Amino acid sequence: MRAQITRPGSLSLLSTSVLMLSLVSGCSSISEVTRERVARSESSVQQAQQAVGRSEAGAVELQRAKDNLEQAKAALNDKQAQRAERLAQLAQLDAELATAKSQSGAARRAADELIESIKTLKQEAARSTETD
Amino acid sequence: MKAPQKVLLTITIASLLTACGSTPQRVEELETAREVVSQVESSPRAGIAAGNVAEARKALDRANRLAGSGGKVNDIEFEAQVATRQAQIANEKILTAQAREEIEKGTAERQAVLVSAREAEARRRATQAKVAEQRANALEQELAELKAKKTDRGMVLTLGDVLFDTGLATLKPGAYGTIDRLASVLKQAPDRRVMIEGHTDSVGSDEYNQGLSERRAMAVQTALLERGVQANQITAVGKGKHYPVASNDNAAGRQQNRRVEMIFTDSSS
Repeated sequence: MRAQITRPGSLSLLSTSVLMLSLVSGCSSISEVTRERVARSESSVQQAQQAVGRSEAGAVELQRAKDNLEQAKAALNDKQAQRAERLAQLAQLDAELATAKSQSGAARRAADELIESIKTLKQEAARSTETD
Repeated sequence: MKAPQKVLLTITIASLLTACGSTPQRVEELETAREVVSQVESSPRAGIAAGNVAEARKALDRANRLAGSGGKVNDIEFEAQVATRQAQIANEKILTAQAREEIEKGTAERQAVLVSAREAEARRRATQAKVAEQRANALEQELAELKAKKTDRGMVLTLGDVLFDTGLATLKPGAYGTIDRLASVLKQAPDRRVMIEGHTDSVGSDEYNQGLSERRAMAVQTALLERGVQANQITAVGKGKHYPVASNDNAAGRQQNRRVEMIFTDSSS
């Protein structure tokens, strides 16, 4: 909001108005930073795709990441820089969340299986001592 | 030229003021973010995902500031969404760490259970071996007491002619004591085998002697089976007059040749 304070005379009123309008509507031209942001999100989404695979854990978040990424790309095309940045950031976070969920899901499954196998082993051991 | 420019500036400033002047309102996303972030912050394992927890807090603070100063709903929602996702990522990392800790502990426990199971199994086998050995010794002892002879073929116990009715294949009651004792030790040592061989003297035809020797061997086999010995432990054959142990020229020798031999073999054979 600091852009409101302008020194009259240094810029013409017209150009000041154009600058302000563009800031408000978010219609400034797309910077390289924004494009990189979207590209980075895309590769995070691809990584998440590999991590999640066909597993259930993280599937919902992965889909949300893909949707956000698509919208971010659409915003890039529409020259909506802020919208593209934000959607890219959300896509990035959703991709990270999808990966984290698939990892915790796999770890939980492994832990549960191990605990179950210990239970079975103990039961078998108890049975064979009884039959002695 | 001045008038339209002034109008344009006025509209621009007005629109900016409108955005800043909206009253704080309840944003659902922000409520969620506050809940999720404070939950993960209070986790005793928050340190595992310190980076994500810190990012979540920063985004939530930004969202709170925007909400307090009448920021745009869009902006508040965005910061709240960032905060919520960061907190959720932190939470998943914490869950992963918990599961891995369980796996680490479980792996050690599983190993311990396996080791103790192996030890128990070894003890069980040792006990079994000891019992088997005691049983085997019992058989050897019994055979020794029954005056069995140790030969190349194993321990050989001879049931003499006097234990059969003359020319018949029926056991006399005098043989029952020996048969009872043999049956009892054979039942205790199910891995031991006995070969029962019937023999005769040279008097009479080959055919007669072969038949008699077979019938006598089978009489002993039947007696053992009746006492509960497993059929697979016993083999009975008739050898006729072909394997004399004494001369067939005199009565004493012929009596020695009329016999049933029981050959006890080891479990390995």
